[in-house]
Amino acid sequence: MTTTEIASFILLLTGAVFFFAGTVGLLRFPDVYTRLHALAKADNLGLGFIMLGLLLQAPSPATALKLVLIWLLALAASATVGFLIARRARQNGIVPWQSGDRR
Amino acid sequence: MKLSVAAVRAFLWRSALLAALWWALTDGRADSWGVGSVSILAAVSLSLRLLPPVPTTVSRIGLLRFAVFFFVQSLRGGIQVAWLALRPRFSLRPAIHEIPLRLPEGIGRVLLANTLSLLPGTLSVGLEGRRLCLHVLDAAAPTEVEVRRAETRVAHMLGLKLEET
Repeated sequence: MTTTEIASFILLLTGAVFFFAGTVGLLRFPDVYTRLHALAKADNLGLGFIMLGLLLQAPSPATALKLVLIWLLALAASATVGFLIARRARQNGIVPWQSGDRR
Repeated sequence: MKLSVAAVRAFLWRSALLAALWWALTDGRADSWGVGSVSILAAVSLSLRLLPPVPTTVSRIGLLRFAVFFFVQSLRGGIQVAWLALRPRFSLRPAIHEIPLRLPEGIGRVLLANTLSLLPGTLSVGLEGRRLCLHVLDAAAPTEVEVRRAETRVAHMLGLKLEET
C-alpha cells in the first residue's frame, strides 16, 4: 500500500467511527433535541472525513470538486433540516428532557 | 431590474461559480457545454430574481477566518457529541437558552442559526426576530460567549454591523 492509500484508509475509518457515534447517540439520547445534536454534528464530521479520504483517491480535479460540493450541500441540508425539526418539535410543545427525568 | 454595478458584478460572479459547478458535474466534458451554457444562464437569472444582489460584499479575509473558525469548532462539536454518545456514563444536562442577536435582519441571522447547530453543544430551535432560541447539551457551558464569537465572525464575513441589544 502506498502512503496515500494508507492515509485514505485512516480517514475513511475515522469517518466511519463518527457515523457510528452519531448513530449510537441517536439510539441512546433521551429526546428529539439531544438526538438532533448527535446527528447534525457527528454525521457532518463523519461525512467530512469520508470526503477527505475519497479526495485522496479522486481520479480527476472535477471529481474532487464534486466531493467537496457534496459535503457542503449535506452540511447546509443537515443544519437546515435539524433546525426545522427542532423548531416544529418546540412549536408542538415537546418539552426538552432534563437531567432529572427518566430516560 | 435596474442595471447597476452590483447587478453586473453579481451576474458575473454567479455565472463563474455555476460554470465551475457545471464543469465539476460533467467532469469537464467539452460536448456538454451547449446544454451547460443554457442551464447556467437560466440558473443565474433565476438566482438574481430569488436573491437580488445587495451592495455589500463578502470580505475575503472574513470568509477565510470564518471557515477556519467553523472547521475547528465543528471538529470540537463532533468529537464532543461522539464522546457523550459513546461514554458509558450518561451525562447530559440540557437546557434552553434565549439569546438576543446583534446581527441585523436577514441572511446573517439565518447563517448564524444554521452554523450554531453544527458547533459544540448548541442546536438552534427557534428564531423569531432577533430572539434566537438554543437547545444546549450542557446548561453550565458558557453558551453566550460562544454565540457572540460566532456572531462576530459572521458579521465580519458579511460586512454587517452589530447592533446593540
